Amino acid sequence: MDFEIPEDLKMVQSLVKDFVSDQLRPLERDILGRAGDLSDARMFLPEETENKLVKMAMDTGLWGVGVPEQLGGAGLNTLGNCLVEEELAQTIIPFSFGDVSPILFDCNAEQKEKYFLPVLNRQKYAYLAFLEPETGTQSNIEMKAQKINNHYVLNGRKVTFSRAGKDYFAVAFAATGNKGNREGVSCFLVDKDAPGFSVSGGEERAGWRSQTREPMSLVFDHCEVPAENILGEEGKAFHLGKKWLPSRRLIRGARCVGVAQRLLEESTTQAQSWQSFGQFISKRTSIEAALADMAVGIHACRLVVYEAACKADNGQSIRREAAMVKLFATQMLHGVADSVAHIFNGPAYVAGLPMEKLCRHALATSATELALELQRSIIAQDILKGLKV
Amino acid sequence: MPQRIQTDVKTIEAILNEILNTKSPPVGRCRLLSSGFNPGHALNITEDISGHKECIGCGNCIDICPFLFREPHRRDKTEQRTSMALESIVGEDCDRCGSCILVCPQVDTTIKNYVVNHRMVEVMSRLGQRIGDEDELDLDLFLEEAIDQA
Repeated sequence: MDFEIPEDLKMVQSLVKDFVSDQLRPLERDILGRAGDLSDARMFLPEETENKLVKMAMDTGLWGVGVPEQLGGAGLNTLGNCLVEEELAQTIIPFSFGDVSPILFDCNAEQKEKYFLPVLNRQKYAYLAFLEPETGTQSNIEMKAQKINNHYVLNGRKVTFSRAGKDYFAVAFAATGNKGNREGVSCFLVDKDAPGFSVSGGEERAGWRSQTREPMSLVFDHCEVPAENILGEEGKAFHLGKKWLPSRRLIRGARCVGVAQRLLEESTTQAQSWQSFGQFISKRTSIEAALADMAVGIHACRLVVYEAACKADNGQSIRREAAMVKLFATQMLHGVADSVAHIFNGPAYVAGLPMEKLCRHALATSATELALELQRSIIAQDILKGLKV
Repeated sequence: MPQRIQTDVKTIEAILNEILNTKSPPVGRCRLLSSGFNPGHALNITEDISGHKECIGCGNCIDICPFLFREPHRRDKTEQRTSMALESIVGEDCDRCGSCILVCPQVDTTIKNYVVNHRMVEVMSRLGQRIGDEDELDLDLFLEEAIDQA
């Protein structure tokens, strides 16, 4: 049993750490806004700043950390990706080292040139059209795709949380087979100027409105898509990204660890600088207890994530481990947020403080209906099969 | 507050199924199939009403109805909070979820048990179709990708 991070990944970690602390953290006020009424808060960094940061990140050779090398990325393993995400999560700046959804990793050679590489190089934005306005998070695909001659005709509406951009295409999930059948869903790449495809919403918002995240809505009205634009095989959309998607759960777990780490730092500063009754509050036992509880939670969660990441890198199945990571990381972060509120002597979700924004981003994927019950169910299935945990 | 000896569901199963299959709030008719007030009711009256099956107007069924949550303006149609009011404002738009039966104090526990055991879909069982297996991914992973976009 070796608890040391490999030397090369340590280097990556310190590289990202420096990048976050030197380049990203000083920009936080630009996002949060300096005015008390949040009138100058923004959703994203200004374009020129962002381009500068991207160029810097590309020069470090870390662009596309999660993207396999044959697709033009840096191809770091799961543990490496976890380390990078853990560092990146310690700032509220919406920045990633070329993050592309693994659903797109299964593109063929032509699609790679036309769609994947532009996304990786930030020339195009991929709008992931999976959710539907009527079904919410039930993951039923109501949108229909009909094959007529050499193209598919798509009909339906979608919502997406993807970032809006000038040049874009949609990654649309639509039912080609029987409704409600998992095998009947296919994935299509729909060009920006495809007939019958329209997008609304997604304007960048400033001020207090930048705090809420509103999805864009995509309408496919008899939208014609050439047959070669199908991603993967017909009816096999849920097989896309098979190799990479499970480990994304670990990476999100690492994000929770990073966020909790930042919260711990902020709380420590607060405890050491705030006085009550002539004494720094860090002297008080209940504050000490809160800090200690946070530290224990973070440490435990970090070990769970790293262990699972090592397993994934060894090619073992991480179904149960990933479920454990998601469940534990979410609960840990909730606990840490409570402790932060305790130390700050009030809710840490006051707009304008980084805490609230950090937690919101990290917990978004656990806030869907039944998300945690699902993880518990996965873990329990393994236990009931008689596997030793 | 039904009687101690309550309606045996076996004797009314056919009609109960008919009621539950109909697209209309079933609470009123289930109440009429129940045993009615028990002698120990807490109403401040001298009359013996044990066995009576009136709606007491508590409004539980109106408060629990998921359809009225989605379309709250329908509640404005009437001030009444009886099962009759529920039937008139929801009518054929009933989801047949059975919640109104479960919250009604006048419906027999035997009938409620029947509804729970034979009619209500357990929420957790839906999990099954979202969990994958060794060959297939969990649908939730795609959901996470969709939500977790920078």
